[in-house]
Amino acid sequence: MSIHESTAAYLLNALDEDERARFETHLAGCEECRREVAELRVASDVLPMTVEQIGPPAHLKDRIMATVEAEAELLAAAGAGADRSEPAARDRRRYDRLRSLRIAGAFACGLALAIGVGVLATDGGEARLVAAQTAPAGARVFLEVGEDSSTLLAENLPEPPAGRVYQVWISRGEGSPEPTDALFTPLDGKVTVGVNESMEGVEALLVTDEPRQGSHTPTTRPIIAIRPI
Amino acid sequence: MIRPAGEPVDTQVTDVRDLADEDLMQIAQKGDPRAFEVLYDRHSGAAFSLAYRMTGARNAAEDVVQDAFLAIWRTGARYDRARGSVRTWVLGIVHNRAIDALRRASTHSRRRAGEDLAEQIEAPQRTEVEVARRDEARTVRTALEALPAEQVKVIELAYFGGFTQTEIADMLETPVGTVKGRMRLGLQKMRVSLEGAVAA
Repeated sequence: MSIHESTAAYLLNALDEDERARFETHLAGCEECRREVAELRVASDVLPMTVEQIGPPAHLKDRIMATVEAEAELLAAAGAGADRSEPAARDRRRYDRLRSLRIAGAFACGLALAIGVGVLATDGGEARLVAAQTAPAGARVFLEVGEDSSTLLAENLPEPPAGRVYQVWISRGEGSPEPTDALFTPLDGKVTVGVNESMEGVEALLVTDEPRQGSHTPTTRPIIAIRPI
Repeated sequence: MIRPAGEPVDTQVTDVRDLADEDLMQIAQKGDPRAFEVLYDRHSGAAFSLAYRMTGARNAAEDVVQDAFLAIWRTGARYDRARGSVRTWVLGIVHNRAIDALRRASTHSRRRAGEDLAEQIEAPQRTEVEVARRDEARTVRTALEALPAEQVKVIELAYFGGFTQTEIADMLETPVGTVKGRMRLGLQKMRVSLEGAVAA
């Protein structure tokens, strides 16, 4: 059975992940298959037209537009693309790993955490736990805000697009969001990452997906937005 | 009246609802929620209908549509005019998300094509555009139903049921090669019937 015969299966999404990867590699080098895929696409593209048309519920639009408008507002406030000067070098405070691990442990055990602002006692001081205002559907995202540094905690966070990582940014309200050195990918959807910045004067902490080595200004819209309050 | 795509747009003066999909995409890309909202209004019906047909459940369909549209809002830069109409592109994303949702769920909860869905609320026919779409839908449905039953079956199991070619081969107790062949023949025949009859 030749791989050339997978054109229709590919268009109908009937290939599993491996088969699709193999076929896409093949497609890049096969003129004949590309031509056939382009021809058959005319048919597969219109299949959605054959289904009974049902009006979506109004609350779905409300939910989606609430997220969209919140993110648009945050991005406008952050002034992405406005001031592109490099941020001044910052003191890198030593990150208290032990404290964050203890919090992450409690988190991972599924202890019920209050949504919104909560106060957690740790030895050496208090940390506030703030829930993200914007996060991917189904994900739980919090920022544990400490004095000199904070920890981003998440569960059920989807993987970034292939070849990309998540990057944390700080927005102080004016100019472009500033990059932090926090680059990460979730492990089984879970995230515990330190942000070596004080949240003093920070309006929003944002997360976007970026190329592996990180970026100087965000190249995509935030998937996570947190006001550290 | 919708302005043709490509004309220069002064967003202070123009009502976004008059813009073509391609221009709206560009503006939404720059972070404009009003442009995104118009795109949602235009395509959410088709999106939800496809998601509901595939998942068979309102909640799952809502999640699929939400995932798809938020992904579009966040990575709108990836739409490329060369790849076809905005609608086709949007529905392609919805389809992918629905397939992911189906394959994540257990095999038992996947729907087979042809099952009755309870409580369908038909979207009301409103505008000229929607009447035209209904006619096109009828044309496409006719083309699909004109195919030999075995070809319709594999296309529906794959496209709407979310099954892989291997799973379909198992279900029908047929070789995978035969399944692939039926899919190709089916799409080829449909394409011939539709030649020139349907807009993108």
